[in-house]
Amino acid sequence: MRLSGIGKRYGSGPWVLSDVELRLSDGDVLAVVGGNGAGKSTLLRLLVGLTRPTVGEVRERPTAVGYVPDRFPPHDRMSARHYLTHMGRIRGLQTNQAQNRADDLLDRLALVGGPDTALRKLSRGNAQKVALAQALLVAPRLLVLDEPWSGLDVSAHQVLGEIIGEVREGGGTVVFTDHRKAVAAAYATRVYRISGGRLAEEPGGIGELAGVELRRIESGAVDLAGLPGVIDVHERDDVIVVTVADKHCDAVLGAALAGGWSVHAVRRTAVRA
Amino acid sequence: MIALVRYTLSTVLLSQRYLPPVLVFLAALWIFTGADDNGPLPPDYAVGTAAVFICGIWLTVVTVNAADPVQRSITVVNAGGSGRVLAASVWVSGMWCAAIAVVGLLYPLTVGRHPIGPAVLVLGALAELTSACTGMALGLLCSRLVARRTGYSVLGALAAVLLFVLVPGVPPVHPVFQLLAGTRPPTSILLPVAAFCLVSVVLLAASALLTRFVAQRRD
Repeated sequence: MRLSGIGKRYGSGPWVLSDVELRLSDGDVLAVVGGNGAGKSTLLRLLVGLTRPTVGEVRERPTAVGYVPDRFPPHDRMSARHYLTHMGRIRGLQTNQAQNRADDLLDRLALVGGPDTALRKLSRGNAQKVALAQALLVAPRLLVLDEPWSGLDVSAHQVLGEIIGEVREGGGTVVFTDHRKAVAAAYATRVYRISGGRLAEEPGGIGELAGVELRRIESGAVDLAGLPGVIDVHERDDVIVVTVADKHCDAVLGAALAGGWSVHAVRRTAVRA
Repeated sequence: MIALVRYTLSTVLLSQRYLPPVLVFLAALWIFTGADDNGPLPPDYAVGTAAVFICGIWLTVVTVNAADPVQRSITVVNAGGSGRVLAASVWVSGMWCAAIAVVGLLYPLTVGRHPIGPAVLVLGALAELTSACTGMALGLLCSRLVARRTGYSVLGALAAVLLFVLVPGVPPVHPVFQLLAGTRPPTSILLPVAAFCLVSVVLLAASALLTRFVAQRRD
């Protein structure tokens, strides 16, 4: 996906974005930071096709796009399950497929009150979980998240990190915004800052990623998720897959070997084309 | 598209905002129908078409405005475009208008002993369709997609009602009222009413395109 010479203004107002050039490749996790009103949300709306650029063009947008806005205003009486089932059907799923997928996602995100809770009774954080679930009903090739960590509890933070990792590993692209560069740098392969309507890449992204597959051979007490540079740890088949920033890969391998793990494989995950 | 229509209909039903226009329509029909229990049906149909026109605007605004703008943006992304979401809103508005139009067509038959024939029923159906399509066309232009403030929406709807109902010669609703309220036999006014019905369908299509254009420019 590519944004070329993008400029955006609303009516005769000031330019919100100007001269934006951006190329998104499979496996990219891109963070956009900037202050309030800097144009982050406008950039995301351009990416998902909710608004058109005043000048420039957006090319090669994937068909499967997931979008999570910064706030999720709930319907009055519809339950979370019914809402997600509707969205799944709109996405082309059969009713039972949509229901099953909705239940799985809400279970994983630990929606307080369960899937039959009316949306209007959900707290901001739980409503945000439903918003996240609707974007994942069909595996997105482009997942766009507007300040996704705001309102989520700590356990949901971890799940969101896992979800971002899964989309990336599946060859999808993730773009998210946040005010805090530290959060952006912890999850993104590239970090951009919007200031004065212009988009500029900043140092501080985690850069290239590596996937380390481990098998336990001895009991040990090393906390893989707590090692420097580790983005995600999850189990796949009979191995533990650790996604780590490439520059920390050797240190993680050393700590894992010393901690009683056997290295099954090390893969460079292509994050930049 | 069926999934989008079901979702849109669900949001309107759960919001319960359809109740005021539907109740106003039923009340108007009950109060104003049957002035002459043994006379011709077309004057009674004039009452029904006026009620369908006004409540058609109201129901269309309710349908389009049922979803919060942020909620709508999620639906647009999931549906793959704003045009589909607007089309679903028009479809659901059409279902509401069709429902009240059928009531407006059948209720006068139950009041008094009117001379009934195929021509007068076709005439009534065309008149109701004219009002429904014109009401939907104006309702789209008074919805949040075009009129961003509730005050502008209400004022726009009132101005539209006054213009189309009270100002003589403004097609297609007022001329249909005049034809229905007149003394000409149903068979002789069938053709002009059909022509005005066609005009209302064109108005609806033009309104939908204009609404989409304005909404996209605003986004």
